[in-house]
Amino acid sequence: MDVEDRNLNLSSDDPATGLRASLALHRLAERVEAKHVASARGKGWSWQQIGDALGVTRQSVHTKYNKESS
Amino acid sequence: MTTESVAPETLHAWAICLQAGEEARRRGDRRYGTDHLLLALLEDPSIEVMLGVDLQQARQALESLDHDALGALGLGSGTDAPPLPMRAVPKKPRIRDVAQKERLRITPAAKKVLEEASKPDRRKLQITAQQVLARILSLQPPDPAAVLLGALGVNTSEVRRRLDAVTPDF
Repeated sequence: MDVEDRNLNLSSDDPATGLRASLALHRLAERVEAKHVASARGKGWSWQQIGDALGVTRQSVHTKYNKESS
Repeated sequence: MTTESVAPETLHAWAICLQAGEEARRRGDRRYGTDHLLLALLEDPSIEVMLGVDLQQARQALESLDHDALGALGLGSGTDAPPLPMRAVPKKPRIRDVAQKERLRITPAAKKVLEEASKPDRRKLQITAQQVLARILSLQPPDPAAVLLGALGVNTSEVRRRLDAVTPDF
């Protein structure tokens, strides 16, 4: 896909929309992370490998996700 | 509308907080706010009747608001990801449930709603869903709960009237 196709329109004049979009992006990032941590566990990745990929410690990723994906 | 016969059940403020925190976790939020408090209240069927909307509709409305906001950035399709799993919340929470390290924090606006709902004793922990709802109804956009009620098409003055009919002492 062309980079140009994904140009973000950051010029929205409405602060209510823009600020909600910022939070919505964060929520989306959390959901993408959770989905792919579960997928990685399903494919046999260790917590250490997932932590390395996310740039956090094994413990912190385990604490955040072990109740959900194991 | 026969809400008169429903006696407001007293809840523990911690139970509302924990439930709101799980709604926030489900969405992928870092903190729980007034919108999540509103979702937590909708666990109570009498609140669903009073607002004329159910929990699923409210969750869906928040998804739609996000979808529209991302659309305004040009991120329309392909940005759907499933919500995160929620954890079970005890009806009568103990201190260890509230003191968990991975618990989400509350937003300042949500803290104010809970404090004012339990007035005159702001540290009182026994409150009713109706008291909390009364505070949420007084919020104005861009407060997230007010935005959610607007998106759901809830007539707040009508709900306020129903609330007064159930609990005349407010």
